[in-house]
Amino acid sequence: MGRWFDAPNRLGPLLVAPTVLILGGLLAWPLVLGVWLSLTDASLGTAGAFVGLANYAALLRDPVFLGAAFYALFYTTCAEVLKVALGLALALLLNRRFRFYRITRAVMLLPWVAPTVLSALAWEWLLDPQFSAISWLLVHLGLIHGYINFLGETWLARASLIVVNVWRGLPYFTIGYLAGLQAVPRELLEAASIDGAGPVTIFRRIVWPLLLPVTTILVSFSAIWTVTDFQLIWTMTRGGPLNATQVFTTLAYQRAITGGNLGQGAAIAAFVIPLMVVFAAFALRATREHA
Amino acid sequence: MNAGRIRLRQTLAFWGPLGLMLAFLLLPFYWMVLTAVKSRQELLNTPNPWWSFHPTFQHIVRLLTGTEYGRWFLNTLFVSTGATLLSVTCAFLAAFAITRLRFRGARVLSTMIFLCYIVPPTILFIPLASVLIDLGWFNHLWALIPIYGTFLIPFSTWLLIGFLRSIPRELEEAARVDGASWLRIMVRIILPLSVPGLISAIIFCFTLSWNEYLYALVYMFSSQNKTVSVGLITELVRGDVFQWGQLMAGALLGTLPVVLVYFFFVEYYVAGMSGALKE
Amino acid sequence: MTGISRRGFVQLSAAASLAASGPALAAPYQPLNPIEKGAKLQLLRWTGFINTDDAVWKKNTEAFTRATGVPVQIQELTWTDVQPKSALAAQIGSGPDIIMGWYDDPFIYPEKLVDVSDVCEHLGKTQGGWYPVAQTYGYDQNLKRWIAVPIGAPGAAVVYRESWIKQAGFDAIPKDYDNFLKLCRALKKTGHPIGLALGHAVGDANTWCYSLLWGFGGQPVDAENKVAINSKATHAALAYAKALYETMIPGTSSWLDPSNNQSFLAGKISLTINGISIWFVAKQQFPKIFPDTHNADLPIGPVGTPTVYNLFSQAFIFRYCRYPNAAKEYLRFMNEAAQVGPWVTAMTGYVTPALKGYAKLPVWTESPDITPYRDVLAGTHFDGWAGRPGRQAATALNNFVIVDMFADACVNGTSPQAAAATAEKRLKAIYG
Repeated sequence: MGRWFDAPNRLGPLLVAPTVLILGGLLAWPLVLGVWLSLTDASLGTAGAFVGLANYAALLRDPVFLGAAFYALFYTTCAEVLKVALGLALALLLNRRFRFYRITRAVMLLPWVAPTVLSALAWEWLLDPQFSAISWLLVHLGLIHGYINFLGETWLARASLIVVNVWRGLPYFTIGYLAGLQAVPRELLEAASIDGAGPVTIFRRIVWPLLLPVTTILVSFSAIWTVTDFQLIWTMTRGGPLNATQVFTTLAYQRAITGGNLGQGAAIAAFVIPLMVVFAAFALRATREHA
Repeated sequence: MNAGRIRLRQTLAFWGPLGLMLAFLLLPFYWMVLTAVKSRQELLNTPNPWWSFHPTFQHIVRLLTGTEYGRWFLNTLFVSTGATLLSVTCAFLAAFAITRLRFRGARVLSTMIFLCYIVPPTILFIPLASVLIDLGWFNHLWALIPIYGTFLIPFSTWLLIGFLRSIPRELEEAARVDGASWLRIMVRIILPLSVPGLISAIIFCFTLSWNEYLYALVYMFSSQNKTVSVGLITELVRGDVFQWGQLMAGALLGTLPVVLVYFFFVEYYVAGMSGALKE
Repeated sequence: MTGISRRGFVQLSAAASLAASGPALAAPYQPLNPIEKGAKLQLLRWTGFINTDDAVWKKNTEAFTRATGVPVQIQELTWTDVQPKSALAAQIGSGPDIIMGWYDDPFIYPEKLVDVSDVCEHLGKTQGGWYPVAQTYGYDQNLKRWIAVPIGAPGAAVVYRESWIKQAGFDAIPKDYDNFLKLCRALKKTGHPIGLALGHAVGDANTWCYSLLWGFGGQPVDAENKVAINSKATHAALAYAKALYETMIPGTSSWLDPSNNQSFLAGKISLTINGISIWFVAKQQFPKIFPDTHNADLPIGPVGTPTVYNLFSQAFIFRYCRYPNAAKEYLRFMNEAAQVGPWVTAMTGYVTPALKGYAKLPVWTESPDITPYRDVLAGTHFDGWAGRPGRQAATALNNFVIVDMFADACVNGTSPQAAAATAEKRLKAIYG
């Protein structure tokens, strides 16, 4: 009996069974249902009839949807670039033993740990057009004259949300880069240093190439979360002002749940899938090449 | 003299940027603390918003006595612990099978598991609800445990696959020659060596389940099944009047335990990630 | 009187008057319909905007349980989170038995709801009738039956600081739009601007934008559900809004529902449009500004009649409920005078009941600042007016088409014609 189990082709499937069961039943199957919904004109409480790609076609003519698609990509691109730059910088700073380094590392993780809904509320209050402490400080420093309307003007609101997203995701990048930096062999750095290479050259020629795979992994994972970000935007602007900060998920939620148009909501959400597949392909390639 | 100046410059070059970054990262928390101890009057009328001149503990007291915060906290703890244990266990078994057993279809399966990671909850929650109804899982707190597995298992599996690959094969090959079964190898050899990777996965899972909002909001409808995020938002946002003090106090109290965990395990976390990336 | 015999009605009235005289009376309780054996209920409602609301509601529910033996479990959610829950309940056919929802919610899934005609007709008969707008939110014209029991409206009125109004040279809030604008300009000049939300604020932004649009005679759709937004009246409303926006405090384009409350209580704005929650919180916690804080009726536009748009809540029972009679009885009980009186009184009229008879409650005249909220439901419309309630109207409201149109004109500086044209396009996509 024990022998029988020991064959990889029997034990293997057995060990992955729990994972497959959970993912298959609670994720893949609902996903199929969701994609089916996007091909129907279902609304809340009715099953709906098959309409083919009509929902998708309608969306491609819908300026609000196109705006949401634009901002989702813009939001993701900017946030990822900033997170890579700042995350790497912070990791380089933290990649040494200094006084308080343990507590600094732990404290640095706070934004990633705090419940998103609540930290989004704290930010909303920090960026309030009337009560913003940031505006107050800038006014008292004499840098500006009136309070800044952080969440009320198209581009300011878009930028503010990106900053908050960077704030929340930065620790994840820093930790990832710290891990990546620890994996850089010391001998290599020492050898280069002995050969007379300066810190900039060492970083460009040795460290950064070694960090590239980590970067790909971090970015692709984080991009997946960022494109599908919902709580942060929904809490802070609800897609306003004037749909300027609408993204796929908020619009899908608005159309499907508050508007009752399930088919269209599902189609908006399904538009995300090809994007995600692209990110995922990158991540997969990075891990594969690596391993 | 000169050496002293160089030292000062180095210190500044280090703490200057670090200080700025930390200020950015910690600003909202400072703000939460301030808001939690300000009375409503002081919150809205203050000569200087960056300080509290008449701190009060009324919000914290009211949060702990006037709401079911304790209950929400225990619920969150239960769900997060359960989801973490379940997910990491499943992920470890799967990662072991995929990296060590090389059974038929292992490679395809690992890709499939990874792809599961990209499905956003906002598209899933309505179809998933009907699945939960069919299973009879609706409004059961424990049902959140496997549900959270849907977004915890793919990442954990990926992380552990990377980590397990970095463990050399010689040990298990020797054990195989000695006649040890695969299960024995998994428990006796691989498991102890994977501890840093497991800690990484555990921390990751715990954090995400601790902060989850949408599923906990939508699939639980009894008040005794609320988690911290859901409880705070649903009971302290009273229409157009926010109970800012209690909300922020609750957010801080809810973040604290996770930070403590991080304080003790952050090094393992980095090491675990590093192991998964190394090879 | 569908389905109720004359004798049944007499019994009903008797039961009602008994109920009205308080649950302490030990007379046998007479339900409208026989309550199912072993019935128990789950209710999902919004967290009260005012903290005295929930306590009294709970007490009333306990009285119901004492009278009927039916336990009711209450779950509360912040008001904007009720909708996803009811959406889910409708979709999967499971969830709370009774939901207190908002706006057109029941009209998104009317077939999924229990017919509550007997309850509504009974309440209408005994409590002075429903306001027409309340009927729109509860009675389905296609199905020819009541699908929801209207509860009432957290009403909207002008909230203002008296001393600053006086300082600007006015004795009271003007009754017409022209003078109202003059007042707002004067307030701006004296350094106390007004503030009205233009972000995606479910309550506050919709309230003033729809009120203004109707005040000029504009309407999103006509009686045939044909899009009619791009009209002279709408252009006039937008031009007026632009002028009004000039007098506002900067930043209202990002305002959500709590923003105006906070700005008002901080003394940053002199005037806004809101429910009674500002006045109530001032009374409890801001003794300095409370004596100066007052409420007044919204001004009346060129159409000549009040056009106040309010939040509106109604309760509906899903068909999956296993004890529909018990659920209907609960809604009847909670809307009887014995319960509504203490409830509305405790929250100083935050919710204006949907039944005309309750305008007689003494609470409305307890303070002249409560009175403006008494009649907010008289002669006004529902959001999809002049069309029919339904999925399209709900979508137009929830997608903020009207609010976005006003924000487009005010914030982006788009011309009224162009802003109305954009809204027309969006509405046509919704109404087909």
